[in-house]
Amino acid sequence: MTPAPAVVLLIEDDVSMRRFLRTALRAHAWRVIEAATAREGLAQAAGRNPDVILLDLGLPDGDGLDVAPRLRRSTRAPIIVISARGREQDKVAALDLGADDYLTKPFGVPELLARMRVALRHASRPADAPEAPVFEAGQVRVDLVRRRVYRAGDEIHLTPTEYRLLATMIRHAGRVATHRQLLEEVWGANYVGQTHYLRVYMAQLRHKLEPDPARPRLLATEPGVGYRLREG
Amino acid sequence: MESTREYARAAAILALATALALPFRGRINTIDVAMLYLLAVVAVATLSRRGPALLACVLAIAAFDYVFVPPYYTLDVHDADYLFTFGVMFVVALLMTGLTGRIREQAREASERQRRTAALYELDQELAGAATQAEVVSIAESHIGRAGGGAARFVLPESDLAGSAEPSWPSDGVFESIPVRVAAAWVHQSGKVGGLGTAHCGEAEALLCPVRSGGRRFGVVALLPQPADRALLAEEAQTAEALAGHMAVVLERVALHEQHEAARAEVEAERLRTSLLSSLSHDLRTPLGTIEGAASSLLASGLPEEAGGLSLEARRELADTIVEESRRMTRLVSNLLDMVRVETGSLAVKKSWQPIEEVLGVTLIRLEEGLRSHPVEIHLPPDLPLVPIDEVLVEQVFVNLLENAARYTPPGTPLDVTAWQDAGAVVVEVADRGPGLPAEDKELVFRKFYRAGATSGGSAGGGAGLGLTICRGIVTAHGGRIWAEPRAGGGTAFRFTLPLDGGPPEPVPADAADA
Repeated sequence: MTPAPAVVLLIEDDVSMRRFLRTALRAHAWRVIEAATAREGLAQAAGRNPDVILLDLGLPDGDGLDVAPRLRRSTRAPIIVISARGREQDKVAALDLGADDYLTKPFGVPELLARMRVALRHASRPADAPEAPVFEAGQVRVDLVRRRVYRAGDEIHLTPTEYRLLATMIRHAGRVATHRQLLEEVWGANYVGQTHYLRVYMAQLRHKLEPDPARPRLLATEPGVGYRLREG
Repeated sequence: MESTREYARAAAILALATALALPFRGRINTIDVAMLYLLAVVAVATLSRRGPALLACVLAIAAFDYVFVPPYYTLDVHDADYLFTFGVMFVVALLMTGLTGRIREQAREASERQRRTAALYELDQELAGAATQAEVVSIAESHIGRAGGGAARFVLPESDLAGSAEPSWPSDGVFESIPVRVAAAWVHQSGKVGGLGTAHCGEAEALLCPVRSGGRRFGVVALLPQPADRALLAEEAQTAEALAGHMAVVLERVALHEQHEAARAEVEAERLRTSLLSSLSHDLRTPLGTIEGAASSLLASGLPEEAGGLSLEARRELADTIVEESRRMTRLVSNLLDMVRVETGSLAVKKSWQPIEEVLGVTLIRLEEGLRSHPVEIHLPPDLPLVPIDEVLVEQVFVNLLENAARYTPPGTPLDVTAWQDAGAVVVEVADRGPGLPAEDKELVFRKFYRAGATSGGSAGGGAGLGLTICRGIVTAHGGRIWAEPRAGGGTAFRFTLPLDGGPPEPVPADAADA
């Protein structure tokens, strides 16, 4: 018996975009529910219990920024925000208000599917479940139990803040983490304005972990938004 | 004041002549004494105007009679011959007075003419550099004011104000008075001088000179004497009028020049619009045509390969083409949008302090595919400070500069990105080893829709000619500067500065202890 297909709620006003996404997602064994307006989307989210929500930020009847927190109140399903380039502030606001990840138009289907998989994985793990004891990506291996970090087999020495930052990124692995989220989790709520702390420590981490810190593969920058730990 | 002193001087000169001659009374001929008096009269006439000279005539005869003609110290004349002497003396004195007066007048006129010529010359000298009507007006006002011993204002009477957005009438002091405005309107209409000290509208506090050249009326110059209650001297009025006339000639020249320039700019803008439209429609249509063609081929490819359908490989090829061309369109459209943002000033710069390395890293990852044939070397000193920048915008600068470099240099040639700190700014350089930029293109490349080495219609290397213009807009919005220069050893270096202003951020606290 095959498991029931996962359900995605697609809130998008553009007909062509919906058609393209519907076709692509169905081809990858998703069940697609559609909504063309924020109002409809909110109703569907409450009634149909989707596993993932794709939310366009440019809906005619509602500011996407407004929709994300309202969706969050009615469902625990991860929300992936879709928006155009140049609207970084909107993305950040949506992410800080309850969205889980974002995707910039235009995007490819493989990218979208990867984001949805990551979102599902994070959602399926209860908040209090223990993390995997070891994280591995590329040449980097992190032993989260013993707090040890290795690069290509060699142990790398990290300062406490560097380690906290890396561990936080691992908790968000595959998903974007906004500047605010990282500052709050690593330094505390009083430091959310000190973005340069984060950037300086991120640079230090890259110099210790990345083979070429000027072309970071593991600790990717999402300009104007935050950082993403790439797993692949 | 002046004239009283002149009369006193005339009397003093006569007294001096009397005193000189008195010791010789009775010893020299009385006629010689008369000559001495005539000399005194000529002296007075040379020094003074007509009044004092006439006084000198009368005084000379009276003194001669009183002191030197017997009986002494009376005005009585016993010898009738003396009456004749008096008559001749008076006529000669009068003639002398008239002659010297005329000579004096001519000399004064000559010097006045010279002064006026000098004033005109000076005005002309200074106006030679004036390029706009406003400049001409302000220069002429100060010259006319100086030459006319007061303050001058160029005004445009109300009758001509309709439709003019600028309130041309000064709203200060006496220039606003009703008589001055009425006089100005009359002067503007008639083309004659009016106002203070003239037959027309003499009650106005200022002299008004028309500023017109040929058939063109520009306005009126109002000259207010200083102090305000003083009458204008004739020469001041004449100089002011002459200067106003000259001002009109220059205004006309400048106006013609401005018209000509505006027409030229219009033609240039029109040319740019046309070429922009043709290149834009080309750049937008080409990928759209390709996409539509490829997609419709895919749609019609349902048949199996043996029956004339497309092979799997061909389908993949078509799909690749669609993706590629869509990306090209996306780039073009976002460039156009950025351009609009730069041009309309709606570029919102959200600065935060960060390492250049991070922005550069994003760019290098994003351009990985496009830069495959151009190895990029990064040279960043480890002590490079954080810079206050909007990372999304500066990333666009890097993208445009690197894409540009890759587009205009042969495959396989390296690119170098270098940064260093220099006097309150971080300087970033993106340098190539390409053919180099001709000197005349150094500035032109930053112009909208300019493509180095491109002929019209073709899109050299696929750029729309917007990248560098956008770069300049973004760098300028950061308070920096961007320019191109030839690179030592061949190639081109694009450099831009990012000022370290706004106060450095709070230092990042060091970790207290090790893990």
